[in-house]
Amino acid sequence: MDVLTVKDLSVSFYRPEGETEALKQVSFSLREGEILAVMGETGCGKSVLCKSILKLLPDIARIKTGHISIRGEEITGYSEKQMQKLRGSFFSMVFQNPMTALNPCMTVGEQIGEAVRLRRPELSGRERRQRVAALMELAGLNPSKDRIRQYPFQLSGGMAQRCVIAIALAAEPAVLFADEATTALDVTVQAQILELFLKLRKRMGMSIVLVTHNPGVAAAVADRVALMRGGELFRIGDVEEVLEEIIHSHNLT
Amino acid sequence: MKKLYIVTILHNVGKFVLSVFLLSVLVFTVSRLAPGDPLYAFYGERVEKMSAAQQEEARERLGLHEPLVTQYGRWLRGAVRGDFGISYQYKRDVKEVIAARIGNTLLLGGLGFGLTFVLALFLGLFCAWREDRAADRIICAIGTVTSCIPEFWLSLLLLLVFAVWLGWLPGSGAYSVGKEGDAADRAVHLVLPLAVVVLGHLWYYAFQVRNRLLEEVRADYVLLARMKGLGGRQVLYRHCLRGAMPSYLSMMAVALPHILGGTYVVETVFSYPGIGTLAYESARYQDYNLLMVVSLLTGTLVIFCNLLAGSIGGRIDPRMRRHGGADGWEVKSR
Amino acid sequence: MKKRFPVLSLVVLTMIVVLCLSFGPVMTKDPLFMDLAHCNEAPGKEFLFGTDSMGRDIFSMIWYGGRISLTIGFLATLLSVALAVLVGSISGCAPARADGVLMRLTDLILSVPGLLLTVFLQAVFGRASVYSLSVVIGLTGWMAMAKVVRTEVMQLKNADYVLAARCLGGGFFHVLFRHLAPNFFPSLLFMAVMNVRNAIVAESTLSFLGLGLPVEAVSWGSMLSLSENALLSRAWWMLLIPGAFLSGTLLCLTNLGNYMRGSTNKRHSNLGSRK
Repeated sequence: MDVLTVKDLSVSFYRPEGETEALKQVSFSLREGEILAVMGETGCGKSVLCKSILKLLPDIARIKTGHISIRGEEITGYSEKQMQKLRGSFFSMVFQNPMTALNPCMTVGEQIGEAVRLRRPELSGRERRQRVAALMELAGLNPSKDRIRQYPFQLSGGMAQRCVIAIALAAEPAVLFADEATTALDVTVQAQILELFLKLRKRMGMSIVLVTHNPGVAAAVADRVALMRGGELFRIGDVEEVLEEIIHSHNLT
Repeated sequence: MKKLYIVTILHNVGKFVLSVFLLSVLVFTVSRLAPGDPLYAFYGERVEKMSAAQQEEARERLGLHEPLVTQYGRWLRGAVRGDFGISYQYKRDVKEVIAARIGNTLLLGGLGFGLTFVLALFLGLFCAWREDRAADRIICAIGTVTSCIPEFWLSLLLLLVFAVWLGWLPGSGAYSVGKEGDAADRAVHLVLPLAVVVLGHLWYYAFQVRNRLLEEVRADYVLLARMKGLGGRQVLYRHCLRGAMPSYLSMMAVALPHILGGTYVVETVFSYPGIGTLAYESARYQDYNLLMVVSLLTGTLVIFCNLLAGSIGGRIDPRMRRHGGADGWEVKSR
Repeated sequence: MKKRFPVLSLVVLTMIVVLCLSFGPVMTKDPLFMDLAHCNEAPGKEFLFGTDSMGRDIFSMIWYGGRISLTIGFLATLLSVALAVLVGSISGCAPARADGVLMRLTDLILSVPGLLLTVFLQAVFGRASVYSLSVVIGLTGWMAMAKVVRTEVMQLKNADYVLAARCLGGGFFHVLFRHLAPNFFPSLLFMAVMNVRNAIVAESTLSFLGLGLPVEAVSWGSMLSLSENALLSRAWWMLLIPGAFLSGTLLCLTNLGNYMRGSTNKRHSNLGSRK
């Protein structure tokens, strides 16, 4: 059974000036343990897609039609309370800009620790610290005392993103959304992070939705690719196939 | 690191002493240049009964012909020993006059500050939580209207309603005659002045908290926090408040002298025997010795609180430490 | 989230200003005449808003005194704005060290409770007149604006878009009016309006305390300085009417000022649905 199914999802933003359709009848499904790259130009609705599945959109956005289900269970009508339980356990997300995604006033340790506490409230203080260290190691951060006590501004972009990833992993999610997770980083760091995603999938068996506008990123790690344009998802298929098509269409025009 | 810390403290102490010294020079000069004969500051109406020769002699004795610098030196020497001269209006040591009143002002201003501090935080949080909803709009509207009412008129309104029309609360003084030690009686007398002090300041700070929190609420880290499984309210308390707290604390440090030293209008309307009424009387009757000390006292508090605000910001806001350097993390972690 | 234009505030404020400026025909009595036969009279047909404890007609005093209150507010603001522009520009153009000293000084004055400063200065100036009071209030109200002006002037020196505009051949005044003024004009206008408000508050408070204008010189503040008599004789009209005009004017000014500041938050909250 597919871990996540989205069917005919339409989302609109309602502003005083009128309605803006951000997603139009988007359908796709995510298989267990798969990496799906969602590609498209800036503003085509990739981010909105992730955030509307997680119900993280501002109040002015509403799901008009469509169904979202996880492992066959419909979650479209879930309340904020119910969604809260899913976030940080079933779903997790890595954001585009790690520097703004981390709370500037909390140390690395506090922020990862909070995520651990929310996922596993039964852990004792010591166990929690051990878990934080384990997660940091998993995300490729050295869990030294100094590092744990550092604030986000003391980290480099790549370190900060690893920290965000450690937070996301604390949830032990079934589905991880990576919203342009490597865009803000240097090319070498980008490659390291992608490597990390591949490793994590293997170890934790999670599915990853990788939002990107970089075909190279998709080609490197994705199993399948979904293409979006103007709020529509118009093509989804195996990575070689779809990328081939893109190259062809660019050559033709 | 310890050494650097001490240097910072010494630096601040030095700044404080220098500022207070400059302030005292300023206050002294201004009060000596003020209209009105300084002789009156020493002898009061008795001057009028003196002959010209006697006046001249008195001036000589007090050194009023000497240059301002010498006069200041003498005043300073006295001031260091705690002798600020005589209040001509009260015919007593300035120090005594102030000592008799300062407790009342500290009580009123201190309580007012405490209440403002807590209520502004609470209201700001609540309004940020209910942003643009009915409750928030109503509170903001009440705030805007209330903050447009001058303090003295608000005092008069409350006096008219609660003391004159309803007769529920006493309208003047700090206690009823002969009930000086009665705590309940004091409390009853405090209600109206305290209400004005709090209402006069509350809204501004509550708005500041609200606006600051609304900025925080729009930051990206809120999404990550919610992604962890935190609810909106928890994010507000655990994350956003944390970002807003440093600026709130330093703002309130600056606010302390404004609230403490701003009680004089209220004190005057309610005839509350505090420093405020004293400042008012001394200005009105040109009792410069007294006015000088009152100004100096307020100014010193202001300087102290500003230094405090500066170091609070640098101490508890990790973002500020980046620029601080001296006692910051950057140094420590290397 | 565009703000609605405060029509009501503008209308009310305009009415008050116009009526105060053209007080002659509006007044039913001589505002300065002390009609000792009609002291403490409640509002009625002859005295629309009643009389005060000195027998003056409050209705006429409102317009007559309003003119003085508004004049002081306006004059003081004029002085404050002039000082703010002066200090701000000097500080913005001066070398870093001089700028630092000037701004320290500004901060220092800013941190002194405003009214105490005014009281102190007024005590130095001696007996108050409309002009001396305007000067004193103007002298104590320029600091916050000066900081804004300074920031803008700094931008004039450094901003990339200013550089771009100059590269394209824009002259100094072109850059000032087309590129910089639109940026800082709203905030400056907002601060100026708030300054009028603060000046009126300062004037009325000082006059109320008896440190500003004497009782004979009618202003909204000095009308209220008879409050003690009013409270004793339960003459509510003596307190409520001038105060209502005062506060109403301040509220209108605040609403207008807030509108001029423009909308603030365009982004939407990330907190999600709050039920």
